[in-house]
Amino acid sequence: MDDDAKPSAIPSTPRVSPPVVEVQDLVKVYPGGTRAVDGISFAVTAGEFLGFLGPNGAGKTTTIRILATLLRPTSGTARVGGLDVVADAAAVRRRVGFAMQTVAIDALSTGRENLELIGRLHRVPTAQLRTRVDELLELMGLAEVAARRAGSYSGGMRRRLDLASALVHRPEVLFLDEPTEGLDPQSRSALWAELERINRTGTTMILTTHYMEEADRLCRRLAIIDAGRIAVEGSPIDLKRSVGADSVVLRLAGAGEGDGDKDGAGYGLAAAQDAVVRLLADFVPLAGLERTPVGVALGVPDAERAIPDLMRRLDSGGIHIDGLSMTSPSLDDVFLHYTGSRIRTEEADRPIDLGWWG
Amino acid sequence: MIGLAYEGYYLGRRTLRRFYRVPANPISVVLYPLIQLFVFSQLFKDIVQLPGFGGGTSYLAYLAPGQITFTVFFAVSWAGTNLLVDYRNGYLDKLRVTPINRYSILVGELVPLFVSCSIMAGAILVLSVLLGASIATGLPGAVAILVLGGLFGVAWAGTSFVPALLTKSEQAAGTLSLLFFPVAFMSTAFVPPALMPEWLRIVNDWNPITFVIEAMRALMTTGFDWPAIGRALVAIAALGVVLHGATLWAFRRLTN
Repeated sequence: MDDDAKPSAIPSTPRVSPPVVEVQDLVKVYPGGTRAVDGISFAVTAGEFLGFLGPNGAGKTTTIRILATLLRPTSGTARVGGLDVVADAAAVRRRVGFAMQTVAIDALSTGRENLELIGRLHRVPTAQLRTRVDELLELMGLAEVAARRAGSYSGGMRRRLDLASALVHRPEVLFLDEPTEGLDPQSRSALWAELERINRTGTTMILTTHYMEEADRLCRRLAIIDAGRIAVEGSPIDLKRSVGADSVVLRLAGAGEGDGDKDGAGYGLAAAQDAVVRLLADFVPLAGLERTPVGVALGVPDAERAIPDLMRRLDSGGIHIDGLSMTSPSLDDVFLHYTGSRIRTEEADRPIDLGWWG
Repeated sequence: MIGLAYEGYYLGRRTLRRFYRVPANPISVVLYPLIQLFVFSQLFKDIVQLPGFGGGTSYLAYLAPGQITFTVFFAVSWAGTNLLVDYRNGYLDKLRVTPINRYSILVGELVPLFVSCSIMAGAILVLSVLLGASIATGLPGAVAILVLGGLFGVAWAGTSFVPALLTKSEQAAGTLSLLFFPVAFMSTAFVPPALMPEWLRIVNDWNPITFVIEAMRALMTTGFDWPAIGRALVAIAALGVVLHGATLWAFRRLTN
């Protein structure tokens, strides 16, 4: 399985500057014998937004915790800014920010006190600390509640405060472990916009997620991770293209009339379908054609670009199209293709176990 | 060293916020010793007539130093659970990804206990004066009592930190620190050694709490008894070295 999943199958991002994060043959075996990370290698250049996509237990969190100096690898090396995460842990800590899966803020301190404490521990000079904290509170939309205890904050506010505290010292690299876990849709998209903005200012971002939508939206490069290994990496678009053509579903005129007068409509539809088949016989991008009860379904690689041409062709042949829908392979299809299993978000999205009474 | 002081200072301010921003904390710390001081001083008012007391002092004055150690005990008995909460909700990890000396986290937990214990001891001291006790050495003596109380609290806190860090259970931390009760009852907190059975007197001779109480009692009833203060400091230091040696070991285990 690993052979056909080599990264070389996907056009990789061109690398000009030296990598900011460099991981070589990383392995982590926990005391119980669990091989959480089983030989991971990758490199990230400055300003990139890399995502680890995989189900819970795939090794994403372990990898990111090693990078953030919280765990020691069993073997292999990890470097951030050229510094080894084990040997030069203190220097690495000065350069990285880490927003963990669980929001870790002090509920009895105010929002401002939370940020100031982390800033102090990072030795942000007093003069700069005040402006930096003001700036972050403003950016995260927490300025008005800055003097309130963080314990009174909503889930979204806690997340934003936690994220702000990872940014007080202006890290070069920001690690995010499931940054939107447990957020409602509005807070989630607001946080996504925030993360994109942080990335635009030049911060290198490495994120783990099991939400395909999140990976798709944020990450310019994805590493699909499963059972402690990277199955494949590439941009979301390239990955999706690599697993198959887009599908274009056409609803043909006359199909809808079938309700009352089956014979007449059926004939009309069949004729239209035949005409489509004739017209598209030499349409080069076509990767498949299938009749549906209301029209045809086409397999078209890179459908986005092929559709105008396709439409002109059908139009010139006098085909009337009532409706068109287009779907691309999802990241779940990518995941299935390269790992042989689904991400199973339903399971991952399950709320916390409430125990025997839940 | 400078790093420990700097980081410990800011972390310590957070520790104090955590204690004082929950009003139930300072109140519950003072409440029990205060009740004990009030009720026992009334109930056993005439106990001082017994020969072992040597006469003269009121039982209230005799009782007060012991109740100060009780106060200090209540102020630190749950101290170890703060770290446990941080460990569990990820805050400890958050601190560990900042470029600090990890022992600053312990400094930030322990040093504020000195402040808290002194303040709480001060509250019970003021209340016992209001109830009728007096301090023979005046204000300097009162300050010395609070310093002894604060130091004792920092040292005794090990009985909360060690089980908390080793078992990662709040229950264990609170329960094991209840060890204070038997140790306190086997000290001169309530009665002088002359009234104790032989075996208890031997235990009492080696009881660190007795040394602390006796130094405080001298400050309250007679004067600056330097040898007694010296013995108290040695007892506190011995307690601190043993308990916090173990705390340090448990903390390393937790953060590795």
